[in-house]
Amino acid sequence: MFNDLRIRLRSIFRKAAVEAELKDELRFHFDNEVEKYKRTGMADEEAKRSARLAFGCEEQVTQDCRDARGTRMAETIMQDLHYGLRSIRKNRGFFSIAALTLALGIGASIAVFSLVNAILLKPLPYPNAGHVVMIWREGPLAGVGDMPFAPGEYSILARSATAFQNLGAFKKDSFNLTGVSDPELLEGVRVTAGFFPTLGVTPALGRIFIQEEDQAGREHVVVLSNRLWRSRFGADPGIVGKTVHLNGSPYFVIGVMPASFQFPNQEGIPSLLDLPRETQLWVPLALPANPRGANELGVIGELRPGGTLASVEQDLTIFESVLERLIPQEKNWASHAVPLMRQTASDARLPVLLLLGAVSVVLLIACANVAGLTLNRSLGRRRELTLRGALGAARSRIIQQLMTESLILALIGGGLGILLAEVCLLMVKNFASGAIPHLNETGLDLRVITFAVGVTFASGLFFGLAPAMGATRMNMVEALKSGGQRSGGSASAPKMRNALIIVQVAMAMVLVIAAGLLVRTFNSMLRADAGFDATRVVTFELPLPAPKYQDTARMADLYRQVLLRLQSIPSVQGTGFASVVPMGGAPDGTVIRMPEHPPVNSAEQPYANYSFVSPGYFAAIGAPLLRGRDINSTDSLNTVPVTIINAALARKFFPGEDPIGKQVGVAMTKFPARTIVGVVADTKQASLREQPDPEMFVPATQNEIKVWPSMQTMQFAVRTKIDDAYIAVSVRQAVHAVDPDLPVAKFSTLSTLVDTSMTADRFSLILVGVLGMLALILTSVGMYGVISYSVLQRMPEIGLRMALGAKRSQIFAMVLYNGGRLAIAGVTIGLIGALAATRLMARFLYGVQPTDPFTFAAVSFLLILVALLACYLPARRAMKLDPMIVLRYE
Amino acid sequence: MTDPHIDLPQGTLDLLILRTLALGPQHGWAISERVQQISNDVLRIQQGSLYPALHRLERRGWIKASWGTSENNRRAKYYELTSSGKKQLEVETESWRKLTAAVAQILESV
Repeated sequence: MFNDLRIRLRSIFRKAAVEAELKDELRFHFDNEVEKYKRTGMADEEAKRSARLAFGCEEQVTQDCRDARGTRMAETIMQDLHYGLRSIRKNRGFFSIAALTLALGIGASIAVFSLVNAILLKPLPYPNAGHVVMIWREGPLAGVGDMPFAPGEYSILARSATAFQNLGAFKKDSFNLTGVSDPELLEGVRVTAGFFPTLGVTPALGRIFIQEEDQAGREHVVVLSNRLWRSRFGADPGIVGKTVHLNGSPYFVIGVMPASFQFPNQEGIPSLLDLPRETQLWVPLALPANPRGANELGVIGELRPGGTLASVEQDLTIFESVLERLIPQEKNWASHAVPLMRQTASDARLPVLLLLGAVSVVLLIACANVAGLTLNRSLGRRRELTLRGALGAARSRIIQQLMTESLILALIGGGLGILLAEVCLLMVKNFASGAIPHLNETGLDLRVITFAVGVTFASGLFFGLAPAMGATRMNMVEALKSGGQRSGGSASAPKMRNALIIVQVAMAMVLVIAAGLLVRTFNSMLRADAGFDATRVVTFELPLPAPKYQDTARMADLYRQVLLRLQSIPSVQGTGFASVVPMGGAPDGTVIRMPEHPPVNSAEQPYANYSFVSPGYFAAIGAPLLRGRDINSTDSLNTVPVTIINAALARKFFPGEDPIGKQVGVAMTKFPARTIVGVVADTKQASLREQPDPEMFVPATQNEIKVWPSMQTMQFAVRTKIDDAYIAVSVRQAVHAVDPDLPVAKFSTLSTLVDTSMTADRFSLILVGVLGMLALILTSVGMYGVISYSVLQRMPEIGLRMALGAKRSQIFAMVLYNGGRLAIAGVTIGLIGALAATRLMARFLYGVQPTDPFTFAAVSFLLILVALLACYLPARRAMKLDPMIVLRYE
Repeated sequence: MTDPHIDLPQGTLDLLILRTLALGPQHGWAISERVQQISNDVLRIQQGSLYPALHRLERRGWIKASWGTSENNRRAKYYELTSSGKKQLEVETESWRKLTAAVAQILESV
């Protein structure tokens, strides 16, 4: 084995020495033979002749010896490489166009694959990611799935479960950070001591919570996120052990997390848990021994070594039976586990797959393009190839040589492509860092590099093999007979070239239609009636620190005072607050009851969002009141409970009747139903593309349920009469006049919120748009190449036609017709392909059908136009030919 | 045909080379001469197959080559049997014996 390798390597790398030795050896043999013949009495010349006869062809023997050394393969490859590089040097024009085309295709693929890699494939940045599950509860009512745990349920799970190595729970909490500079509201989570060990994460600085710190009275310790540590504490390396003030109490900083660790956040986790977009700190949850409370805990568990999802499900069934014995109301509930990887990836998956589809189309077009170029070139080399064939080169040997050139080309294209991808990713990161999760983790890693190498070789095979087969399929005798003439070319070559162009046009068609549909979607989102008017409206959030503000009546009173202060700002036209302003997040929802419309069967669960508003809120955001009155400041706990419903609720549950004066309330009958006093227009709450849900708006001063929904945070909307550059300052002053410790969070204009809600849409639109452009450019370059070449080939024919009296305009039309025919064939196939493909993207569309006739017609027209433009130059060249010159060369 | 030479059956060339080298290191020409002599001129090795076979055997590690000086004072490439070549020779000799015995048996019985 080792000996074999040594000899092969020596034959390759010490080729000259090995060859010389072989020559010496054969020479020695030959001389000995001559001597032998001479000894039998032959003359010198005669002896040599006989020896040569006995010896056979020396070249053949040498070649056989080389073969015996097992290096032929390597030697031919070296030879082909050498030859390939030489032909690249000689055809710079062809190779730079081909390499650039490939670089565009491969580069775009690598860039998109890096995104896919970062978003979907990369393991989460914690060691245990592969065997952590998230556990949810499921109620007996249809639609009540993925419920968080109540603290009581969690403590029973923690006691009874056996399938987990570690178990952790977390819930969102806000912390008012004071004492450093301006008070700032930080979003964080409270977690049990098992939280960090479950994920297996180790802090960048300091330590994580110990068991003793996870109990009431000892929980004043905090772990900071890397971002918070940098932005708020100047990356102070001595931060551990220092004290910070949260919600008015001192907390010990015990650790700082690595930058990659941001769990938990909103990625993929249902909005019921209401997690922060970015978690800034972690504080112990400190559950008491017999905890009570609402379903608000997210639960994660690390499987025991060798544990499976099945063992977890089994464990959860046992847990449910224990739970049911202790708490009879838990009957019929169930629990299920979801791998954390799947949980956190589900949200971002779709646009990425759309991009992946788009980019593979671009890559295919690039490959088809280079295949066309290569085919042209190999046809130009027919004489050379024929000669090689005539001298005894096997067809496979010629194909191998052409493929080597293609692979060199692919490698150059791939190298440039990687550079291009890096540049693209830098641009994407600058443009859309907030829109796509994990975007900042993109980069070249082993998987991306493997992909890049794979794509490079696959494209090399793809664009190299077909032309190589086509160019070598020839009749040697015929080809040699036709001698130096340029005309000819195998019969299958033009067919293959035309097919390549048709395929390119068809694929470009599909991609450009997809981009067109996204443009239309974006347009209809912009023009859709959002139900509110964002001009000159600013919004902010006012979270009340929990220890100071507990009582809902006191909270309502504070919000009212802030509202009064805001109204007295001279530039303010109107102001109000709500649980969530438009684009400010998802409101809470509940099953509702309508005493006038009892449900027909008990399985029917009418559902509506339920949020608080203040008087004047609808006027402030510009949502028109369609019927009835706004709520007013006299609505209180002592007056009739009232509500305003949105048009969607009226349509759905009071069809064809006047809802004013009718009753609607939460499902629990111990709370009185509310009288509907007004109907407001539908406003879009979370995204411009949503269909509005039924909504109930309840005066903040009439919160008789108290425990739900939370009033700890309200979002304010302030509409100004004129553009007021100082409104942010005035708002803060107004808030701090009421309570100087209150943080003003998420200050922003309403139009910015609307804009931000569209970032992801804009991102995929621009990316697919750019890919569509790329496809168009590549296709027109390919078209241009093919038509120019065919004009070049048909020059004698064109000259003859002219000599026989064809008009120049006829020649021009003929060339255009040739290109146009291919384009129309491509467009037709593209239309059929697009009909099938755009159906898959229905969920990315809004306000436009996947088969939108306008887009289809416009894009068909565009492609034919582009194709004719690409044919224009060659057609003009054909028209200007001088028949005399052409025919003389014939 | 009066030609006393017969062509070597497939696969016997390696065996002959190994056997010849078992007598001591030799260069290629001497190997072919020796085979011819010992077989009373019946077997003759074509040079065209001898050298590729030598190189192949060298690559397999059954023989190794070194440069030495020949009887007529010229630089020549000498081949000698390696220990794995000796083993290979035994194996091939054994299987050759079995083969010829079997063939002979069949020829005589029919």
